[in-house]
Amino acid sequence: MPGSSERSVTLAGDLHARPAGSLAMAAAGFESAIELQVGGSRADAKSVLAVMGIGAASGQEVTVRATGPDAEKAVAAITEIILDATKVGT
Amino acid sequence: MNQAARVGIVLVSHSAALAAGAAELASQVAGGAVVVVPAGGTDDGRLGTSIDKVRDAIATADSGAGAVIVPDLGSSVLTVRALLAEDDTLPGLLAVADAPFVEGAVAATIAAAVGSDIKAVVAAAEEARNARKL
Repeated sequence: MPGSSERSVTLAGDLHARPAGSLAMAAAGFESAIELQVGGSRADAKSVLAVMGIGAASGQEVTVRATGPDAEKAVAAITEIILDATKVGT
Repeated sequence: MNQAARVGIVLVSHSAALAAGAAELASQVAGGAVVVVPAGGTDDGRLGTSIDKVRDAIATADSGAGAVIVPDLGSSVLTVRALLAEDDTLPGLLAVADAPFVEGAVAATIAAAVGSDIKAVVAAAEEARNARKL
């Protein structure tokens, strides 16, 4: 049964290349379509280049939106990666 | 993800430093889950390409699921083409990606890391042509 889920988090640091890679690899493990939104820019979370291209920087709010059978799990996993990866000092 | 072999990545550049740097970057972005092998420069360390280096890199990169070759410019492409045309001892599953070098390397490596097959890895690399960085 397709569902949708959404959560917004504020970045404590910039979303660099390595976290963008972790995020895209994790996103690929979900069936749901997963989108990141920062301001007016949107990116497919499964595309590492799109995630890097969104240029999400410290202090910005990122909205993670998923649609599909595992939408809730996907949003939980992706927001955790974003929060973890952008912690100051990592 | 299953534990089956991942597609390997070969980065062919005129410059050994460029190939090595791109391989290091792509490998780290993917958390080291994929074999990314640089094949840059001539056999005597000058700028150029070496058919032997590419052949060796393919052998290192392939672990059964094949290898995707990302060339940088001009004669890198010619060297890869010449090798594929003349050497019938190469692994059966090989493909060349028509993609920007750094972006293609990163996108291909991430696709390989999540267990994509060789066609999907090539497609991910080639989609990099449309990726905007600004």
